[in-house]
Amino acid sequence: MDTEPPSLPEPSPEQLREWELEFEAAARRPLRQRFKYAFIRTYKPVLDDAPFRAFSTTREYREWCERNLPSWLGYGREV
Amino acid sequence: MAAKFEYTQAEEIRDVFARNGVRYLFIGKSGAILLGFPDTTQDADLFLEKSAENGERAVDALRELGFDLSDDRANEIRRGKDFVQLKNGPFDLDLVFAPDGIETFSEAWARRIEVEGFPVCSLDDIIVSKAATNRVKDRESLPRLRAFRQYWERQRRRGG
Repeated sequence: MDTEPPSLPEPSPEQLREWELEFEAAARRPLRQRFKYAFIRTYKPVLDDAPFRAFSTTREYREWCERNLPSWLGYGREV
Repeated sequence: MAAKFEYTQAEEIRDVFARNGVRYLFIGKSGAILLGFPDTTQDADLFLEKSAENGERAVDALRELGFDLSDDRANEIRRGKDFVQLKNGPFDLDLVFAPDGIETFSEAWARRIEVEGFPVCSLDDIIVSKAATNRVKDRESLPRLRAFRQYWERQRRRGG
């Protein structure tokens, strides 16, 4: 858990401009409408297979995710 | 698998938690979305104050919302586990009592932002927490989230 993660490249000016337009478009929508677009539902293997989980520490939860979830879900530090 | 999280369910959390006196904040991407961040997520993350009293209130509120909490499960929440994942109710909910990167609930509460009655962690706290968590999915969302924070601060200074 102590290794430095790979850093992502800085967004380009074009990318930042594109995001800015998205932020402006979102700001014109009421919260209820933003919700409709924002929350999605897809099945996540393993994670969605138990109705309840509790972890004594957040670190324990992170380690459980690393050990048990498919890496492509993105819950670990590496893909 | 629960249905996707709807605005009316967020309103139910807000109203039922308020009625039961639960101290909590929306955190993570669901919090950022409440602040206007245009992105997608699957479930709501709530940062709850870690105390026996707040845990008791949260159990009452969650049962009122329709979560199926046996006495054993309720005790796990009351005893203050740091992270509880609920997929046994009308929608999925993550309860976080000790988010990465945030020292205390009271400090985060002091920095909170209210949106239509929803108490939300500040964007700085959401970003700090995601950076500290350091998962692949968080690292991928951080550059856009940081750009949104700049946009959001500019808008706030303009009174927008």
